[in-house]
Amino acid sequence: MSFSLNEVEATAKRATRGAGYSWGQAEEAAKATRWLCAQGVDGTAVLADLLQLGLASNPQDHRPGRIDNPWQGEGDLCPLSAGPLLSDCVHLLKDGPVEMKRVVAPVLLLAFVGHAARLLERSLTVEADGELAVTDGVRLTLSETFPVNAEHVTVSFGTAPDGHRKQHTRARPAQDSWDVLNDFARRTYAPATDESRLLGAGAGLSDND
Amino acid sequence: METARTVISRRDPARVMRLSRLGSLHQCRLSFMRQLTCRMAREGWSFSRPVFDIDSKGVGHAVYTAHGPERAYSLVAFAHDLPPEKRSDRVIAEAWDATFALFDGIPDPDDIKRLSQNVPLQEAGRVSENELSLSRANRSVRLWAHVVDRLAAGLQPDLEQIYKVGYLMRTTAVYGSGKFGAADREKIADRDEVSAPFQAEMLSVYLTRVFVRDLVQHMARAKGGDQTAELDPEIARWLGIGNSTGLGMAPFIINHPVLFNNWIMVREEAIARVRSLKAATQTETSHFRQIFERSKLSISWWRSDHPIQVRKLGQLRADLKAISDHLTGDSLNYDYPWDRLVTWSETALSEEGQELLASLILEPYGDLVDGLVDCMADSNAGAFIIDGAMPICDVKQMIKGTFGWALDLDWSATENCARAWYVSEEKLEPRLGERFEEPIADYEQPLAPGRDAAAAYDALRGWDDEQPIAEFLLRHPEHRHTVRRLQMGRAAPYGEVHDNTISATVAPIDMLRAKLSFFGATHFDPRSDRWVRICMYAGAPYPDELTVENADFWVYPQVTA
Repeated sequence: MSFSLNEVEATAKRATRGAGYSWGQAEEAAKATRWLCAQGVDGTAVLADLLQLGLASNPQDHRPGRIDNPWQGEGDLCPLSAGPLLSDCVHLLKDGPVEMKRVVAPVLLLAFVGHAARLLERSLTVEADGELAVTDGVRLTLSETFPVNAEHVTVSFGTAPDGHRKQHTRARPAQDSWDVLNDFARRTYAPATDESRLLGAGAGLSDND
Repeated sequence: METARTVISRRDPARVMRLSRLGSLHQCRLSFMRQLTCRMAREGWSFSRPVFDIDSKGVGHAVYTAHGPERAYSLVAFAHDLPPEKRSDRVIAEAWDATFALFDGIPDPDDIKRLSQNVPLQEAGRVSENELSLSRANRSVRLWAHVVDRLAAGLQPDLEQIYKVGYLMRTTAVYGSGKFGAADREKIADRDEVSAPFQAEMLSVYLTRVFVRDLVQHMARAKGGDQTAELDPEIARWLGIGNSTGLGMAPFIINHPVLFNNWIMVREEAIARVRSLKAATQTETSHFRQIFERSKLSISWWRSDHPIQVRKLGQLRADLKAISDHLTGDSLNYDYPWDRLVTWSETALSEEGQELLASLILEPYGDLVDGLVDCMADSNAGAFIIDGAMPICDVKQMIKGTFGWALDLDWSATENCARAWYVSEEKLEPRLGERFEEPIADYEQPLAPGRDAAAAYDALRGWDDEQPIAEFLLRHPEHRHTVRRLQMGRAAPYGEVHDNTISATVAPIDMLRAKLSFFGATHFDPRSDRWVRICMYAGAPYPDELTVENADFWVYPQVTA
């Protein structure tokens, strides 16, 4: 089924929050998922796989210990920590590449690299275990064999994307990934009670007037 | 936004963005319905009704097409026979008197068939990238019966009853921007005719009004046969479209701080420009006086049974008297007459009266303020990205600037955090609950920016002022959404409500009214502290009547001597 990018963003935001991330990270994960879908990459599948790892249960182990190179955590690095940090700290790229170790779902980083590219008005290259992605924030080229997890990621200034992926206005998520996101999203919905149905919204008056 | 050379600056956000004032806003010449009718008249849009296939029970479908200079848009309407026990304006309703989609272009029979299988289901159906909005409406049961019965008996409906209710049907949701599979906003954001906020939705409601007029005539004829009267166009004009709005609009204005800022800031800039005029011509002052008289007539039709609005209407009526008295003198003949008038109102009138006056002074000055409407959309996607290099001292300063009021509150006191916003699993209806009485805190939505800013300020204690905020956010991602909002606020000074949105006494209708006033709504009628009915397009010319002359001031009824 085809979904609007707004639906992708809304579902990804709720799912990320439902998986235990902060609201701010959920907003960013949602924009990143949408951006990937607009590039024709199934961002919903990438996000669904990430959320199932449960990294949000001990976030301190999955974020960079410090901002200096290389970025690494006690455990695998979560792109919803490393990605936002990269777009927060675009100035670092002016001094040289940013290096990261043991990154899961590095595809999600690309949207944050896109933020950085737009701010710096430069194309940026992401090298993940030898596979390349290049973006200027709008256009993206991506290796067919870009890794699912990467031991070593480097983000640096690059040349403009060579050709680019077609922009998409709709997303066609894999059904199982979409179901996973909706299962996580459901965790943000309060169970219905008679009291909340009566008092939580509306007027409690008849609409047959 | 270009700032004109103004002597009087825009009003302080700390004054404007209080909930009680936002809950007292009135439509003005910048509002979205008036933008649409003016554009359609100026550009000479034409309208057609290619399909009206509705049976004697009122079941069937119809298509109304608006033809603009470059593109056409069609309302596809489905009429249903709804049992009274199913009639509910809530999100949790599952059936309606009528359902609609706004189609991008002119639908073919396959489109109609697809829509007929989905639009009547609303949230449980799917629409496509060819649709720009999805909506539904319920009848005002009493007025509907009155109009059908009178016309069927060969008589005209009683105008007083129409003034009191204002509409035959009220929409209970108008979904746009990609909801339930519809086209994303981006599809139309660059089209001149719908680039301003909510223009597709306003067009959908405008065409819905025509459909409802045609449907009531059709039902009257089905009942009355040959003796049926044709609804007098002068009476039909006072049939608007109602809207019944719940809590969803409150999260919207908190979740779109840049967009909301743009609406408020444009109105504030318009007010500042008019206040900065050194003198007013005779034509301008008489225009203003005339609009004020017409506005008084409209307000005389405004009814509400809710105690909050009853009190406010009492104040507003006293305000109208005070304004009338004030205008009988020569107050508009001095220098800076509009600034004098606004300054006078600040101590002489209630907030209802102050905001009415602030809207009305814009009316004679289309040339000065109408261009500002181009600044009302949100095209600043870059505002989302956090500047992590910003030193912590700057972030703290921004918190003190925008949320100083929140730093003074004791957020552990029950009355200051008594409520929590959440989404129910029942059709994802947005709700507001009692934090200490219901099991909802774990599901709380981030809709208390003041509380969150105060928490961020506390967490920043002990951090070095010169450290970049990125260092803090790396350790404290729970404050990312707050820092993002604060930084957005640099370009959006009117983006934040300067009040507690989770207090024991918060009235969400204040937030609903603020948004609805920019649509151009009138006759706000709260049904509870979290639910409001309004009227749209009452007085507006129908498509076959629309001219440049009547496209703008229709919201103010003509006063007959």
